[in-house]
Amino acid sequence: MTAKKKVLLIDDDKDFLMATRLILEKSGYEVFLAEDGKSGVDMVKSVAPDLAIVDMMMETWGEGFEVVSKVRSMEQGKDMPLIVLSAVDLQGPYQAFEPSEESPKVNMVLHKPVKADDLIKYVGELIG
Amino acid sequence: MSETEKVSKELIFIIDDEETIRDGCRQVLEKSGHSVITAGNGLDGIRIAREKHPDLVFVDLKMPGMSGLEIIDILLEDIPYIVLVVITGYASIVSAVESMKRGAYDYLPKPFTPDQLRAVTKRGLEHRNLRIEAKMLRDAKEQVEKDFITFVSHEMRSPLVTIQQYMEALKIVAGGCLSDEAVNIIERCDKRIRNLEDLVEHWLDMSRIENGTLTQKKEPVNFAAIVARSMDEMMPLCQRRGLEMEKELPGDLPSVIGDEESLVRVLINIIGNATKYTPSGGRINIAAEYDDLDVTISISDTGAGIPQDKIPFIFDPFFRGKGKDDRQRGSGLGLSFCKRIMEAHDGKIDVSSEEGKGTTFVLRFHR
Repeated sequence: MTAKKKVLLIDDDKDFLMATRLILEKSGYEVFLAEDGKSGVDMVKSVAPDLAIVDMMMETWGEGFEVVSKVRSMEQGKDMPLIVLSAVDLQGPYQAFEPSEESPKVNMVLHKPVKADDLIKYVGELIG
Repeated sequence: MSETEKVSKELIFIIDDEETIRDGCRQVLEKSGHSVITAGNGLDGIRIAREKHPDLVFVDLKMPGMSGLEIIDILLEDIPYIVLVVITGYASIVSAVESMKRGAYDYLPKPFTPDQLRAVTKRGLEHRNLRIEAKMLRDAKEQVEKDFITFVSHEMRSPLVTIQQYMEALKIVAGGCLSDEAVNIIERCDKRIRNLEDLVEHWLDMSRIENGTLTQKKEPVNFAAIVARSMDEMMPLCQRRGLEMEKELPGDLPSVIGDEESLVRVLINIIGNATKYTPSGGRINIAAEYDDLDVTISISDTGAGIPQDKIPFIFDPFFRGKGKDDRQRGSGLGLSFCKRIMEAHDGKIDVSSEEGKGTTFVLRFHR
């Protein structure tokens, strides 16, 4: 049996983390949680997840964006599939779902709340 | 001069072609603790004022070259919060009145005494400070409103989103264990939460429109793209509700200046409305036409129509029609949102309707 794929969730809403974790665990992923941007970035290093999901609606929009930039500048994170979660009032380069040239590349932008089926499907498409 | 010095010591600028006036004023005002700069003609005056941003300017109305009135116009336009006092060479109340009409704050007739100069200066500077304070208060009020919207948006929406995510998790975790009845209950909860989410969203939009923070771009918008985007968005809903949706757009539809995102939302709102009041098997048609003055987009349905006595109220906040299904409740803010957005585009939204036949909404934009 192959080892479970690791997914890191970064969001400052504990309940949202819990709900999303339940969905992903049920689909056979090993899920790691980070409640703020900084520990999220640290865990990219320590856990080396196969995929990370970052909320862009944490305390400030900047925090999510910073996490994405930092992760992309790290050895472990530069090619890791990255999903960002947006809210309707998301401001910034991911707003229009067409990131500008200079914004760090993310693989997918999903709207909160995420349908369980969609989440499983997209994560599956990115890391199997 | 450093910023702090500038704040503590007001800068007064004298523009007068008579050297004795310039020197006299300088002596008096410097003695009262002000910084003073001077210019001997209008052109120098404007150049120096643009660079130094004085707090208070005395302008002689009667100088060779540029007229005092011209100088007033330019300075008022260029320098925020500048307070202007005109020096009238002769006791000409007419020119003083004209200057004040143009925006000068006060006037000082020649000859004047040091006491008069000091009094006018004091009044002028007080006026300037009041204006700055008023502006700061206005800004602070706006900031509070903006922060409040951000706060509400985050604090009200986050729990809703989280509840929805938990319900998604519940479906997955409990999976096959749930009875049909339980699944039905979850679906109903889901629907009501979505209504609440829409309500929060629409309410936020309205607040954003009111305080001007709803991002409104002003760029050429292409109606074909707007219609296509809105139809893409709404097609699944139409299909679920058994409705056909079609468009008839002229190929050379001119663009207008506006904000694509909000116009897409206007169309989505109106189409969404149509789906609520049109029975299965009905049709929604989106058409456009233009003439030399206007571009109009019309959205028609073959639905229940709006009773004539209700038409005057449909754009009012929280007005709701009776849908084909009582559970299809909207926020009651959708059409007022559309109306505000159309107003922000200097456009108009109109409706015509016949009970039992259908409803047509017409969006009119100036070219």
